[in-house]
Amino acid sequence: MFGADTFHTAMAEIVVGTMVLATVCAVGCASIRYIPVPADKRESLMVTMDKASMAGASMALLFMPIAIMSGNFAAENTVGNDLLYNKFVYSGLALGFWAAFVVGRVRMGPGLWEVRPLGILQSSTAVMAFLMTTMASSIGGKLVRGESLFDVLPIWFPSDSAVVLPIWASAALLVVGMAALFVVFRMSPRTERIQLE
Amino acid sequence: MSRTLVIASVVALLMLSSSSVANPGGNGDADRDYTCGGSCHGDPSMSLPSDGTISISQDGDVFAGHAVAVHVNVAGMSLSDNRLLGTFILGSIDGNDDHPEDHGWHVIQDPNGGSSNYVETVVPSSGSVTLTWVLLAPEEAGVHNLFSQIHHGSEPNYDGMAYTGVSRGYSIDVSPVPEGLPGLSPDWTAPAYRASGNGDPLEIHTVNSTSLSVQWMLEGEWSPNDAVVSSNCEDSEVCNEWQAEIPATMGDTRIQYQITVLNGSFSMELPWLTMGTGPVPFEGDIWDARVQSFAFAFLILSFIVSIQIRLSPWDGKDDLDHTQEVVESEPEIPPPPPGMEEEPQNDDEEYWSRLVPSEENPGWLWDSVEEEWVADPNFQGGEQ
Repeated sequence: MFGADTFHTAMAEIVVGTMVLATVCAVGCASIRYIPVPADKRESLMVTMDKASMAGASMALLFMPIAIMSGNFAAENTVGNDLLYNKFVYSGLALGFWAAFVVGRVRMGPGLWEVRPLGILQSSTAVMAFLMTTMASSIGGKLVRGESLFDVLPIWFPSDSAVVLPIWASAALLVVGMAALFVVFRMSPRTERIQLE
Repeated sequence: MSRTLVIASVVALLMLSSSSVANPGGNGDADRDYTCGGSCHGDPSMSLPSDGTISISQDGDVFAGHAVAVHVNVAGMSLSDNRLLGTFILGSIDGNDDHPEDHGWHVIQDPNGGSSNYVETVVPSSGSVTLTWVLLAPEEAGVHNLFSQIHHGSEPNYDGMAYTGVSRGYSIDVSPVPEGLPGLSPDWTAPAYRASGNGDPLEIHTVNSTSLSVQWMLEGEWSPNDAVVSSNCEDSEVCNEWQAEIPATMGDTRIQYQITVLNGSFSMELPWLTMGTGPVPFEGDIWDARVQSFAFAFLILSFIVSIQIRLSPWDGKDDLDHTQEVVESEPEIPPPPPGMEEEPQNDDEEYWSRLVPSEENPGWLWDSVEEEWVADPNFQGGEQ
């Protein structure tokens, strides 16, 4: 048998690996018109990257709840410091960004990359999801090994101190978030798949 | 070109990781067996004998179940750049069940303020360090052995070897306890830290004590202060639960204190103990984190999806924009109801022609229809 922390590490590695694939391909899709690729190869490359980004993001979205739950067990359902608290928060942010990425791609189809503002939004969403997921993973490295690859990179989001909201404030935010989801998915106009020219 | 760049990037990332087989940064204070229970430090192909010398000593006589300070002096070893030294205190050197607790001892405090049998410390430039464990002796009188083991690195250390050494057994003669001898309770462990600013009294559990005194001083000071000591059992002669009021500390301050327990003619002056200052305990709860996390997830999702809708070139968008239909379908403005008509403009010629100037009231005109005075707009201080 193996412990919850080992299982959590395995799940986190799957999430990080797949989301790197998704992010690179999403950025590639958004910027392919600026890359000098022969016209005959551009379409096949676009289709490949689009499918790869969708597959990677879907897999990350599928495994992320498992990673979060196993992380809960690994932490023995306690949050004893700011780093661990922020790991939860960044995981939630990553989940939101990945879900938005997948929802956007499913609702609008591969044609979204043909609309420049949507392509920029979609690739930016992937990059933000990448940063949030990487930050959550790096906090794990900080907690277990005391070091992270972010130590040598000029990127580090705030994590040493946590903004702990009272439970009522968090619950209120949760209700607002759920209401916003209801409004967005049920009351706002439905988006249609963008037809490829 | 791009392939070369990718390969060079991957190689550069791989070279960022350490290639050492040892743990040059240490593993932290912990409870460990001899050679870490047979880890790589015990593997002859991955370790070399230490060139340091280890000596063990104790303070005073040792009575069964009572506190004793055991000093481990380590000197003369080569060290790595970070001068880190790992030191064990052990009840045996079998590779398992070597912790002093497995041999009847109880760790009240380790040299770093915790309660571990393995501690890591940075050796000063003198090359010698003395580490003191405060232990409760076994309940069983007789001769008991203690061992010490060290781990350290070396500079240069091209093969990344761990250097390890172990002392000979140090025999401690544990005497039977005279009846009524006061001491510390075996279920009490000295706290390693107090939260910054926490001035709560220090709880001390003893055995056979009728009185207790505590002296304290900040680390580095030489003149101790007396702490106010109280207990909740004033009626009984023997009291084993005490509270000592030691001032709150902040920052990196470490405070030392010495407990003296008394029972009649017995007076036991216990070894000095150390207490560090830790950060204020984290107040977050797992449910706070979970709820906040999901709230952010929902908010982000709804926010981005709403932007997607806004940017979407959806053909049906114009179908929902009924502004033109609303404008066209608006009926003509109905006439105001009787009595609500707008008043006619007062600046027409007919109106002004009926106003009569008055000599008695210069600057005012008389409206005979409305029977009211109206200010003359052309009046300029008497010169019309």
